[in-house]
Amino acid sequence: MRGKLQRTWKIMDWPGLFLAAALIAFGVVIVKAATAGTRMAALGERQLFYGVSALSLLLLVLFISYEVWIEYSAIFYGICVLLLIIMPVVGHSVAGSKSWLSLGGYSLQPSEVAKVLAALACAGYIKDLENRTMEKRDFAILFGIIGLPMILTALQPDFGTATTFLPMFAAVFFVSGLELSKLAKWAALGLASVAILFAIGWFTFFRPYQKERVLTFLDPSLDPKGAGYQVMQAKIAVGSGQFTGKGLYSGTQNRLNFLPAPYTDFVFGVVCEETGFIGAGLLLALYMALLLRVVSAQELAKDPEGRFLAASAFFMLLYHILINTGMVVGLLPTTGIPLPFLSYGGSALFSMTMMVALALNVRMRRYSV
Amino acid sequence: MSPFGGGDFAPKAMVMKAMVYVAFGLLFARLFYLQVMRGDFYRQLSENNYTRSIVLRSPRGMILDRKGAVLCRNRISFSLVLDSSRQGNLEDTLSAMQRILGLCMTKEQVKAAQTRSAVPSLAVIARDVPTSWVEKVEARQSEMPLLTIEMEARREYPYGALLGHSLGYVGLISPEESEKLHIPITDPFIEVGKSGVERAANAMLMGKNGRRTAQVNSVGREVDNPNLRLPGVGIQEEPIPGKTVQLTLDVKLQAILEAAFGEESGSALFMNPATGEILAWVSMPEFDPNLFCGTISPTAWKTLSEDPRHPLLNRPIQGAYPPGSSFKPFVGLVGLEEGKLTPSTIYNCPGSWTFGGNVFHCWAKGGHGAVNLLTAIQNSCNVFFYKAANDIGIERIAKWGASFGLGKPTGVDIPGEGSGILPSPEWKALRHLGPWYPGETLPVGIGQGYLTVTPMQLLSFYSTLAEGGIRVKPHMVAGPTEILEKTPISESSIEIIKEGLWRVVNGGGTGKACHIDGLDVCAKTGTAQVIVGSAGKNTYSIEKEFRDHAWFAGFAPRKEPQVAFVIMVEHGGHGGDIAAKIAKAGLEYLFYGKEPSPEGQPAQAPAAPRRQDQSGTRDQARLDQGQGAGHAG
Repeated sequence: MRGKLQRTWKIMDWPGLFLAAALIAFGVVIVKAATAGTRMAALGERQLFYGVSALSLLLLVLFISYEVWIEYSAIFYGICVLLLIIMPVVGHSVAGSKSWLSLGGYSLQPSEVAKVLAALACAGYIKDLENRTMEKRDFAILFGIIGLPMILTALQPDFGTATTFLPMFAAVFFVSGLELSKLAKWAALGLASVAILFAIGWFTFFRPYQKERVLTFLDPSLDPKGAGYQVMQAKIAVGSGQFTGKGLYSGTQNRLNFLPAPYTDFVFGVVCEETGFIGAGLLLALYMALLLRVVSAQELAKDPEGRFLAASAFFMLLYHILINTGMVVGLLPTTGIPLPFLSYGGSALFSMTMMVALALNVRMRRYSV
Repeated sequence: MSPFGGGDFAPKAMVMKAMVYVAFGLLFARLFYLQVMRGDFYRQLSENNYTRSIVLRSPRGMILDRKGAVLCRNRISFSLVLDSSRQGNLEDTLSAMQRILGLCMTKEQVKAAQTRSAVPSLAVIARDVPTSWVEKVEARQSEMPLLTIEMEARREYPYGALLGHSLGYVGLISPEESEKLHIPITDPFIEVGKSGVERAANAMLMGKNGRRTAQVNSVGREVDNPNLRLPGVGIQEEPIPGKTVQLTLDVKLQAILEAAFGEESGSALFMNPATGEILAWVSMPEFDPNLFCGTISPTAWKTLSEDPRHPLLNRPIQGAYPPGSSFKPFVGLVGLEEGKLTPSTIYNCPGSWTFGGNVFHCWAKGGHGAVNLLTAIQNSCNVFFYKAANDIGIERIAKWGASFGLGKPTGVDIPGEGSGILPSPEWKALRHLGPWYPGETLPVGIGQGYLTVTPMQLLSFYSTLAEGGIRVKPHMVAGPTEILEKTPISESSIEIIKEGLWRVVNGGGTGKACHIDGLDVCAKTGTAQVIVGSAGKNTYSIEKEFRDHAWFAGFAPRKEPQVAFVIMVEHGGHGGDIAAKIAKAGLEYLFYGKEPSPEGQPAQAPAAPRRQDQSGTRDQARLDQGQGAGHAG
């Protein structure tokens, strides 16, 4: 045990650990600022607890080799899928979707955990390929591993969280050994199918509020008091922060309730308003550095499964960051995708921490022993 | 294709890095654009979000009578307003309003109220609501996010119906008034005077609203967070309260006169002939101006507007009647000045005079016999003045009438004044009524025919006579004397007419009912026909609505007159009866401080202020001194 600790200390990815820890701390501070003085003030305290837990989780995942995590993943993946199947019965409803499981005062979102476990399960399958070329069947199985929990999540129904499984498909393609030219083809095909799906959805299963979000994103003046209001208020929060920000706890958009969901989906608005271009730039720089660290983990990975884990972490991080910040700064329509490490909540924080930790883990253990 | 995870990974890593750089480059650019390039713009928008400009309403000034009695003051009143510029749901607000206040309103009604409102986003739902509502709205504001409570200063007229026509009332400003008075409509509660003194002295009475910038949250509730000291929050413009306006009116005289009127309709005016200060302005029946405060209820409006006695008519200036015999002294004066009459001119009155084939009657069937100017005024002989008018001619009567202010408004400060009709050949031609026939001059000589005057015009005439030809501008708002016209009249003519008027009251003439020991009252009765052919009949024997109008006009005392007066009782029969008695009551009060005994006639006691509760006086005083009444929500 002692020897193992010493070994981990020696191979520790200090820059990666620092970046992840800094982001978790950033999140604790901002959630506190976003909830101070409101009925939600207790959430700030709770986020501190989540942050400390996430930091412990980070260290725990780094401590044990990713190969071990992969080994045991299949069982947990199975349990998690079962949990998702029975969610409609045991879950409790938040905003119309049965996606939360109550655990003695705390709530757990199994779909968030399922992402990590699906990535690990895929890695396990990739390990069993033993460096042979991917066949269509292999693609189908990997997509099945990812797709099963994704569809179950979508059925809860929680489309926002379901879409966060999509980056893993990208990871499968990216690491599968396909040449870049073929990748481009697949990417084009993927985009086209998303567009077609969107078009079909628009006329069939999209709900009115979802259509409204898209329409008001395209033209916020359509509904300045309703859905367009959030878009506009978020922009005002961001812009009014100016270069240096209004100061922590002094954001008027945040403190006077103009900014919607200031501690969850629109937490980036609080960052921009209270810490200005400097603070938001610092946050983006941290994300960027972490992303590049994860890219290097992929490059240096000693095995395909490690490379896949790092790629999954990369696409997942990138997807969350872009969709969320893009929404807050008014470049993308409103969705319920949280900002990694910053949005209030334990489940998303833990799953993102685990993904990043696995990627760093892969980088740390890049030399075959 | 390479094995999974195999192949040359470097280009793929390059693509990934490129993705990061491009995406974050875009994000940085967007942040730079929003926060640095357009930062000032969005900072302003965020300030607009959390600041709300709150109107600090300035109360109108008080109105006092000549002795300082409060005729009009303000009280605090609360109104419900739906503010659609706030963040919140209209349906939720409306259903909560029904649940909490029992106030049922549809979206359409709100829209209609918004259309009516001067400020489009603000729909005034209810004015002057009970304080229990204010408490409920305050307590459960979150359920009714669009509903706000606004505080305003509401007009209150303690004497009620006693002063309806003189004080007038206020109402919400109309777009036309906004343009005319140069008052921008920045608040849905701007009130301006609609009639009476309220309108005449509006510029003085009205203050100027102030403004305060408050810090509000997203549901529009004012927050005072010591941690958030924000720029632009605080008082910016102090309200300027309206000035107190003093009137020349004597509310006690007014009360005595109105009591003397009883159930009769008509006018009574008392004025200082030298200064034009109006002491009493009676228009019976009166209305209670308190009914018009805020918004008059449809039933109250219907009752008032459909009342056959026309309580909304401001009779002293809007009622035009033939002056009847009260016009005769004027004809006598013109005759003297134009050399058509002398004090020794004698006409015989056999009871009628046939002129141009028509018979013109005197009211005395048997005639007055030989009459001169003095006895003709004293006994109000018609035949004398038929002949005098015929000798003088209509042009001269019209010319002198214009000098005495007939046929045009007297310029009194109370708005809405009529002109009456001062007939002349030109007037008739202008109206396309054909040429003037000499026979038409005769009825004008006794104040009938085409001639009509408002009570105010007749007062102006008697006042000018009392002052020897100096006509002043009548006014109810205290202020300097304004001389409108000086007509040169010989002293002797004036004295002859005054002697005639003195005899009417004191020489056993038609106005003896107004005789007061020790006071030389000069006055003339008038009995104006309402229907043709009633002359000579006993007017009390016919239906009231066809009975003659009764006039009693004059001044007192004879030397250095201090008051000129006109009493006009619609369908009051002879001017020497009720009209003279009303005048007497007023004069006895003015010169001897005598008030009619209250016993048996409780209505004659001066009306006491309606609200005498002491609890309200402190708030009252505060409001009246002009503390800003503002937002309470």
